[in-house]
Amino acid sequence: MAGVGDVRVEESLRVKIGCFQRSAVHFVKMKCSCEAKNLLAGSGQRNTSCAVRLDSEEIYRTSVVEKAQDPFFGEEFSGEIPKQFRSLSVLVYESAGSKSEKVLGKVSLKKDELYKYHQKEHWFPLATPDTETDVQGKVHLEVRFDEYLNTEPDFISSHRMAIRVLECSDLMVINGACNPYAVVTLSWGKLKHKEIKRTTVKKKTICPQFEELFHFDLNNRGQNHDRNIYNFDDIYQGELSVSLWHDDSKVSREVLGNMFRGCFLGEVRILLRDLDLATVHKAWYCLQGREPNKQSPQDIGSIRLKICYTADYVFDSHYYEDLRSLLLASADTDPVSSSAAYILGHIVDMHQQAAQPLVRLFYHHDKLVPLICALADREMKQTTDPNTLFRGNSLLSKMIDELMKLVGLPYLHDTLKAFVDYVCDDPKPCEIDSTRIRDGENLNDNLGNTKSYVKGALEAITGSGLVCPALMRDVFGVLKEMALKNYPDSSTVRYHAVSSFIFLRFFAPAILGPKLFDLRSDTQDYCVQRALTLISKAITTLVNIISSSSSGSFGLKEEYMGPLLDSLSTSSVLDSIRMFLDIISSATGAYSKNIEAPIVLKEGQMIKRAQGRNRLGRKNFKKRYFCLTNQYLSYAKAKAEKALCMIPVEDILAVERLQEDSFKMKYMFQVVQQHRALYVQASNCVEEKEWLDILTKVCKSNKNRLKMYHPAAFINGHWLCCKSVDPNAAGCSPVTGGVPVAEIQVDIDPDRELEKVHSLFLAHMDRLDSLQEACGAQVVYAGTTEEPRASMIVEDPQSCFQTVNRIQTCVISLEQEHKQYLRMKQRSTVIGSREAPIGDDTCGMLLGPQTHL
Amino acid sequence: MANRPPHDNATTYKLVVVGDGGVGKSALTIQFFQKMFVVDYDPTIEDSYIQYVEIDGQWCIMDVLDTAGQEEFSAMREQYMRKGDGFLLVFSVTDRQSFENMANFHTQILRVKDRDTYPMILCANKVDLVHQRKVSEEQVKELATKLRIPYIETSAKDPPLNVDLAFHQVVRVIRAQPAHLKTQRQKRVGKKKRCAIL
Repeated sequence: MAGVGDVRVEESLRVKIGCFQRSAVHFVKMKCSCEAKNLLAGSGQRNTSCAVRLDSEEIYRTSVVEKAQDPFFGEEFSGEIPKQFRSLSVLVYESAGSKSEKVLGKVSLKKDELYKYHQKEHWFPLATPDTETDVQGKVHLEVRFDEYLNTEPDFISSHRMAIRVLECSDLMVINGACNPYAVVTLSWGKLKHKEIKRTTVKKKTICPQFEELFHFDLNNRGQNHDRNIYNFDDIYQGELSVSLWHDDSKVSREVLGNMFRGCFLGEVRILLRDLDLATVHKAWYCLQGREPNKQSPQDIGSIRLKICYTADYVFDSHYYEDLRSLLLASADTDPVSSSAAYILGHIVDMHQQAAQPLVRLFYHHDKLVPLICALADREMKQTTDPNTLFRGNSLLSKMIDELMKLVGLPYLHDTLKAFVDYVCDDPKPCEIDSTRIRDGENLNDNLGNTKSYVKGALEAITGSGLVCPALMRDVFGVLKEMALKNYPDSSTVRYHAVSSFIFLRFFAPAILGPKLFDLRSDTQDYCVQRALTLISKAITTLVNIISSSSSGSFGLKEEYMGPLLDSLSTSSVLDSIRMFLDIISSATGAYSKNIEAPIVLKEGQMIKRAQGRNRLGRKNFKKRYFCLTNQYLSYAKAKAEKALCMIPVEDILAVERLQEDSFKMKYMFQVVQQHRALYVQASNCVEEKEWLDILTKVCKSNKNRLKMYHPAAFINGHWLCCKSVDPNAAGCSPVTGGVPVAEIQVDIDPDRELEKVHSLFLAHMDRLDSLQEACGAQVVYAGTTEEPRASMIVEDPQSCFQTVNRIQTCVISLEQEHKQYLRMKQRSTVIGSREAPIGDDTCGMLLGPQTHL
Repeated sequence: MANRPPHDNATTYKLVVVGDGGVGKSALTIQFFQKMFVVDYDPTIEDSYIQYVEIDGQWCIMDVLDTAGQEEFSAMREQYMRKGDGFLLVFSVTDRQSFENMANFHTQILRVKDRDTYPMILCANKVDLVHQRKVSEEQVKELATKLRIPYIETSAKDPPLNVDLAFHQVVRVIRAQPAHLKTQRQKRVGKKKRCAIL
């Protein structure tokens, strides 16, 4: 059993902010628009933005939507939460001018309410912003009931309450300050006597140490008629309230004559009958807000949000062993539809939920390619027409999408950021639809602009093939191979299988919505958005010319796109796309069982120095015909002759310029290998740069790439650059270019992913049950009924049944661990302690949302 | 583009065609507008078509947006869902997954519109591929009843089946809406007119 200390709690949150509408105003507006406008205090068109807050800390702010009646934000925040929080709130701001802004309304959700709205889109009514309902922090109190003997006037026993306000923690900061003081109010008796006492003000602290003791006498002094009838019932109906206030300023105290008590920071109300008065009661309390005095349920609109909140209790690795091995066996399960991974994808509502943890887990264990391979094979077997392959949404498509986002984002930025910035920062008119063109714009100019944009984007993309992350290339390579195997008659499917992902699911959406891929931080206006849409459309269609067996006529879809596409679909453009797709689908490393012909990247005549010889002499330099492919750098005596030397691309450790004084020759560069370097002289400066660039790209993702190198040659027994006499001495200058973008390792926490998988299975136990039933039914009725009974047809009911059984066993035993842990946690939690203050609604959540089995 | 210049005050109906990738959204749309079946499989990013159409004796402008079916574009979906007056929810009877995704589209539209019902029609497309059919008409009917929207079996392949009917039916559903629910659309039309005058 897991000890309390062994379990991590990982919380993550995703909030999608849709749009905001003023519902009530809508209604009024329909009837008489003038009044509605006046209601809106000025114009109905406002500049608005939204903020997401955890307690009172702002964690995300949308960009401002200008002049909109019903602003649509369409932004998403997602992140891990590093701290404890009690509530999540979303505030809608109206910004006027550059600095001032006003809160129009807010939605506040307590932590336990978040589960209710998890994964569901919902319109939340906005409430008037009121600082008094939303508070944070806690207070430490001690309540004691004293009995003492009065000497005056009679000897009767008398009672009093002793209330000690010890300290507070984590109070709210108002306008950058917090000068708190506490007010203790005790009311009791039939007549609701009220006695109020207050502490001193503590300056500039959110964790004030008050340590003040207050006594309240309970013997109804001064009430002659019942002075001796001291009644315990009076006490029991009494209420103690401790409220905290921020003493805002000297001005408000002195000038305004202490009319205002400052800002409300929260309060605690304790019914005395809830206390055991025989003992000393000492506990932490959560501060609570209070209802606003004015009853104004004025409808100020609503906001659409989609909140995903998960809190995972992550155990030690060994608890997940069974689930892990069951999942990882997925790639080898035959048929793959009976594997745990496939079943997970089948039972969840959205493929993404399953794809995310699966991709991360399989990536971590280096088993992603086999799984994708198995899933792709199944999909191809089910798709008769290669032209519709990978068009739909499946677990596979979502997994590759997740993979591209996981390992491909740096690559995407490297490839497209500059281009997207260029379009967004200085947009040129691009509208080529004559029915939509604005006055004063010229269709031909716009056509030219659009064309140059599309060309720019395509150049950036097609030039990036060599820096595409190895894992993506491996996956594309496998997809291509399988497509060729499954559709031997189709000449285009090799491109189609790859472009369906890299273009249709990566570059096209990234250009269309740069913000979603972090290419831009701002939202684009209509003009830029339209330009990006046109670029994305044109690229998709151009790619489609080579990846589908269609005729390539653009006439049937939107007419206005015709001229643009006609002028762009030149053979050189199409060839460059083809070459790009070839390069990114030529698998690397472990998966390169390349039967495919290597792709020639650059070739040409250069002069090289003989390798591995230390003698310096003119005759050591020879003219050779060099050829670089995606696999080798080779040279031969002349074009089309047999290569004299082939250097595998993986063996190139660095490619750098060579200092001119090494051989007193210009345009020399070096290709550094394990024990030697090849010195080559290009014919001119342009050639030199081109060779350097392409060679650098080719070996950029090599694992053993050098960090340091020698900028000069080793001649006459020493390195000219650093004078070291050891020919194997490490380099003396850092290589150019730095860390390759493509190979940044992604950190993955496999246990956490497994915990996610576990909770997905757990949340869909009912579907697992019905799948199991369907399997059973299909076996029993096999042959007797033609019609598939349930909505699902199980490919291989027997093996599927077994897998479902194993999943259930895993999940149930893991869940028992969870329950046990939570029970233990609950037992060890002392309500009223600093960690679990009374009135903290998040404590009850320890049991989680879905613990019933 | 326009067949015939009718009188000025024709209402504009913004229709949006949604559904998974490869189910034939573009084929349906192009068949409706160009009366032709496209053999090409060119994935759509976002295409729009406009035409004057006479439905039940009333002329109107049909502004149809053909959309991308891949989930990777789902973030952009909301934008056009906000603008649409009516929706065609298209799936392919040969692709079970596309059928199962219909409920998601339905929910998302209602959420975005913040309404319990909205003019929509469920299109069971590619019914010509009888032998590859994986979703029976009963199942379509069942889903349509569950979602409380009408359904129609369509095929964009020549000879087309129910293609015009599907588009016209959405307009009829929009027209049949109770008056107070139409406000949102009419308001926008009104705004547009003002802009034109300015």
